[in-house]
Amino acid sequence: MNSKKFIALGALSMLGAAALVGCDKKSKYTEFTMFSAMEGSELNPDNDIQNIIAEKTGVRVKETWLTGQTAEEAVGSIIASGKLPDFIDGGNGMTQLYAGGYLVAWDPYLEKYPNLKEMYTDAEWENFRQSDGKIYWANVFNNTYGAPKAPGHNDEAFWIQVRVLEWAGYPEIKTLDEYFDLIERYYKENPTFTDPTGAEVPIIPYTVQAQDWLYFALENPPQFLDGYPNDGSVIVERDTGKVIDYNTTDTAKAYFKKMNEEYQKGIVDKEFATQNHDQYIQKLSKGQVLGICDQNWDFNYDVQPALKTAGLDELGCEYIPLGLTIDGKREQRWHTYGDTLNASSGCAVTTSCKDPDKAFKFLSDILEQEIHDLRYWGVKDVDYLVDENGVYYRTQEMRDKQNDTAYKASHMCQYSYMPQWLGTSRDGINAMQPQEQPIEFRASFSKPLATCFDKYGAEGYPDLIGSVIEENTAWFPMWSYSNELKPAYPEDAADGSHKAGDVWPAGVAWENMGKCKHEWLPKLVMSEDFDADWEAYMADYKKCKPEDFLNEMQEVVYQRIEAAK
Amino acid sequence: MSKINKDEIALNYGANGKELTPEEIQRLKRLAKKKSHRLDAGGWIFVICNTIFLILFALVTLYPVINTVAYSFNDGLDALRGNIYIWPRKFSVESYKTVFNMHGIVVGARVTVLRTLIGTFTALVANALLAFVISRKRFLFKSSLSLFWVITMYVNGGMVPVMILFKYLGLLGSFWVYIIPGMVSAFNVMVLRTYMQDLPDELEESAQLDGAGYITIFARIISPLCKPVYATVALFVAVGQWNSWFDAMLYNRLNPEYTTLQYELMRLLSSVSKQGGNVGLASQAAQSTQVTTISVRSAASVVTMVPIIIVYPFLQRYFVTGLTIGGVKG
Amino acid sequence: MADDMNQDVNVETQNAEPEVIETVTVERQSAPSAIKVPVSLEEQEKLKKLGKKKISKAELKRQSVLLILGAIFFVYGIVFYYLPLAGWFMAFQHFTMKNEFFDSFFHSRFVGLGKFSFLFRFDLLKEAFDQTGNVFDALAQWVDGAMFIRTLRNTLGMGVLNLVTSFVAAILFAILLNEVKNKMGKKLVQTISYLPHFLSWIIVTGILRETLSSTGIVNEMLRALHIVEDSYNFFLEPALFWPIVAISNVWKETGWNAIIYLAAITAIDPCLYEAAEIDGAGRFNKIRYITLPGIAPTIVILLVMNIGNVLNAGFEVQYLLRNGVIQKVAETVDIYVLEWGIGKGDYSLGTAAGMFKSAVSIILIIIANKVAKKSGQSGLF
Repeated sequence: MNSKKFIALGALSMLGAAALVGCDKKSKYTEFTMFSAMEGSELNPDNDIQNIIAEKTGVRVKETWLTGQTAEEAVGSIIASGKLPDFIDGGNGMTQLYAGGYLVAWDPYLEKYPNLKEMYTDAEWENFRQSDGKIYWANVFNNTYGAPKAPGHNDEAFWIQVRVLEWAGYPEIKTLDEYFDLIERYYKENPTFTDPTGAEVPIIPYTVQAQDWLYFALENPPQFLDGYPNDGSVIVERDTGKVIDYNTTDTAKAYFKKMNEEYQKGIVDKEFATQNHDQYIQKLSKGQVLGICDQNWDFNYDVQPALKTAGLDELGCEYIPLGLTIDGKREQRWHTYGDTLNASSGCAVTTSCKDPDKAFKFLSDILEQEIHDLRYWGVKDVDYLVDENGVYYRTQEMRDKQNDTAYKASHMCQYSYMPQWLGTSRDGINAMQPQEQPIEFRASFSKPLATCFDKYGAEGYPDLIGSVIEENTAWFPMWSYSNELKPAYPEDAADGSHKAGDVWPAGVAWENMGKCKHEWLPKLVMSEDFDADWEAYMADYKKCKPEDFLNEMQEVVYQRIEAAK
Repeated sequence: MSKINKDEIALNYGANGKELTPEEIQRLKRLAKKKSHRLDAGGWIFVICNTIFLILFALVTLYPVINTVAYSFNDGLDALRGNIYIWPRKFSVESYKTVFNMHGIVVGARVTVLRTLIGTFTALVANALLAFVISRKRFLFKSSLSLFWVITMYVNGGMVPVMILFKYLGLLGSFWVYIIPGMVSAFNVMVLRTYMQDLPDELEESAQLDGAGYITIFARIISPLCKPVYATVALFVAVGQWNSWFDAMLYNRLNPEYTTLQYELMRLLSSVSKQGGNVGLASQAAQSTQVTTISVRSAASVVTMVPIIIVYPFLQRYFVTGLTIGGVKG
Repeated sequence: MADDMNQDVNVETQNAEPEVIETVTVERQSAPSAIKVPVSLEEQEKLKKLGKKKISKAELKRQSVLLILGAIFFVYGIVFYYLPLAGWFMAFQHFTMKNEFFDSFFHSRFVGLGKFSFLFRFDLLKEAFDQTGNVFDALAQWVDGAMFIRTLRNTLGMGVLNLVTSFVAAILFAILLNEVKNKMGKKLVQTISYLPHFLSWIIVTGILRETLSSTGIVNEMLRALHIVEDSYNFFLEPALFWPIVAISNVWKETGWNAIIYLAAITAIDPCLYEAAEIDGAGRFNKIRYITLPGIAPTIVILLVMNIGNVLNAGFEVQYLLRNGVIQKVAETVDIYVLEWGIGKGDYSLGTAAGMFKSAVSIILIIIANKVAKKSGQSGLF
């Protein structure tokens, strides 16, 4: 390369860069940015509905999602950079954001914009108040408008493919033993199956994730098997409010021993401990896996459309949740009715936002029914139709389109981490979100799924699980506290008992317990000598000083009971 | 034929071979001519083993890459069955269509090409100029400025202060964060300096007598002689630019328009997907993430590695020379 | 800086008359051979005078261009490399990030060596020693319990393992390749050997994961040889993690690292080999007594340079490959800094860890340099 060419190349690339940098078109709308500490897919820049919403509200929000890092690392580096997006949902990082003074208080805007105020009752809003008495974020999920419509189960369960139940004649499955027994028997007779393309696909009887925080599916079943709801980090006795560590119970040992046996029998996926989320979803989407334990939101939003697209739903590859307990004799709480208020995180406006008023106005605007419908239902006559009674419905073609990722990226815009409603629409007829629309719910069923529902006489998924129907306790869910634990106190204590930066024993214990379980739980499942390894695990676990954590959780339970009085 | 034993060979010719006198060398050369170069049995075994070993080495090096290419051209669903080695079983270019339809990949490709071109050009100019300055014998602060830069190789302030600095410089959320901070690298400067120092001083001196200024000397006299080492440094920088993802993640997280190809690739390949720690956060609204088959992942890998694989064999001549001269002496 | 240069260049191209271009071309063609330029006696005298370094006005003016350039690079270096060092002060605070950085920097609580004691957990060591009464057991318990110490061990362990394996592999490869007489074959193998160097770690770890997966080639081979029945999961065995990292490093960099050794081997006087041959030295003896000593200085220099980087040997691979079961052997200092410093928001702790790493790096390189000089080789500085 001679020097002239070299210089020419340099000049050319400079030009290119100028073009790249200069190509930020002046938008006629206010452009905001949002970061959510959750993985998601970005919308195309010329997304149809995003443009319609921008036309109506004058605001367009560029959403970015978590990629490749842990949520903590992502939020941490955003804070470190000091350059924040206009909106943020920082997951566990919310307290850090608050402590750093990066958030704008909602209080004045709650008065100004009734749509926002309407999201929660005054008592509920109290839960969001921080140490300075102000509200800085609002959780946007699990919030029902009007009558609840949900026939779904969005939480954790042991799931099983419809065809396995069909094969066995729709038996009652109550215990872990029955569950694995059924899977074993089915697998023995059907080690492979032929998928709609004619390919012979091997069956994986059971798989579970063990990576990162998604290892909860391996880690937390002992609390459910003992009949308790998902307090997440501890069991709390319903009557006494006593905190119990579910990691060390007899049920926990029995559960892991069972998993170990099944692993040795070749029932549990050999790759479970190293598969990543992608590989896991892939196996499920292929219809390969008979049974899993997982949260619905963690797999079914990906898996169900994939199964439908591949025609595997008609083979009975869709999943049914079961409400198992350790002995089949007790009440269980896999499904909790009513809204779960998680005050530990939510959507917030940051101090980097140049026009907070406009930001809050936008949050309010998108709760307007018209825009809410655009977000979740789409464009009328394109994404859904309205019958003479005003009921929204979709044709099969429209439903298929909603399962198409490319279409969703170019057309749909949910702003899914911003304020939203579940339940009944303001018209009193429809559901706020289509998956809750009764007609949509049943209409989208494949034949095997519909048969299964009929055989069990179930209207919705919760009926299949059969959890007890009761009010949530005052402290529920405890994970909204344990999620905030850090190895060092983020703030000075009001009573001066600790300063920011001091070691937080509960946080350190929680951190170490997590590390210990991440290491040991997969090892236990794969162990050659379970009892010896269990002892070794318990010894290691004790070194983490779980009592530091449990004592603090106990205090919090009492505080919450006190506060609820 | 000779009385010298092995140990003496080592002693005389090995570590300090320079002690041989020209006459001795002549004598040895004459002797050498007499001895035929036929291989004995042991020699043959060595040659055969060595050849096999090197062929194996080449295969082990190439196989994973070929395997990736084979997967990328295979039908996505079929590929899940595995057992694809060097040739696709069910040929399909669908995966490539998918990859080129991914918005992020397209944007990432554009940014990556630009940052590689601009970054390489600016870094080369900057490194070469600095190397030129500190390789001038006459320069008053020659050694102190060198030391000043050598220190930067081993000491750094850490991630947080750097980010805060970038914030105040307005580099966060901008394309230039890929270009400006990494423009000067002490390691590259040292390689260039070593090479430049070995050029004869007379070149500079005579040019000065002709009235040339330092810029002219740099551009017209030194630089043309430094082609191989320039190519080497350019390659270092270009490979670094092409392959980087961490800076995109750290500094341009909120600006998907400045994403890079490798960062997008990581999103597809990453094992740390959906990590976090907040079960309650995830929700009804959990975004549907695109399911990527091994074919799509392979196709994306191929897309990111092909340009550099095509380019490097042509630069081989330069970087081997440049690395040799810069490296052996530096 | 680059802009300055660019302007210069532009000006030159604009002014470039046809004749000028001609001279340029001539100059460039003649330059490589023009090593000795005839200089008259008078001029030589003049040069000698000027050659003396003296801070005279004339001298300053003469090298004004160099001074200006030097100053620009000095400022650049100060801004991008030295200014962030001020952040080291954070290691002695409990730095809490507030909206305005300088505000938080000057108002954070000073904790002295508090962050370092959290890193090293000497209290754990003492406790373990009191319990066991045995130094080695206590150390083992300490390493197991104190997370930073563990990451330090991992970083050093992997760093040293990588260093040794990549050196041995590159030297071996260079020597073996040098024995090949077929020029085409040699060139081909060499070209192939560079390839992985140009791939990013993201691709390499992706490849590695596929290769070692249950359907990957390694498990296929193990199955074919009936060593395993089903498949072996390589990423779940803590004892295998370091070797896997080392092997992937060898795979990626051997060809590239060998370039320098090959050049050094080529630089050895061929007469030596001929002479040795005459004296009856076999192939192995020639390698042992001529090739290896011939490239020894190169090996030493590179070793010294790389020892300073031992602690830098771990981020990307480990970050991309780690999982829960093997985390205890996989996490390195850099990951620790990211996880605790950024992730848990304890910037001071992250800074303290990073600072300690820098200090160890410098000590290592100084020691390595000393050792190299003592053993009769020329060091790095």
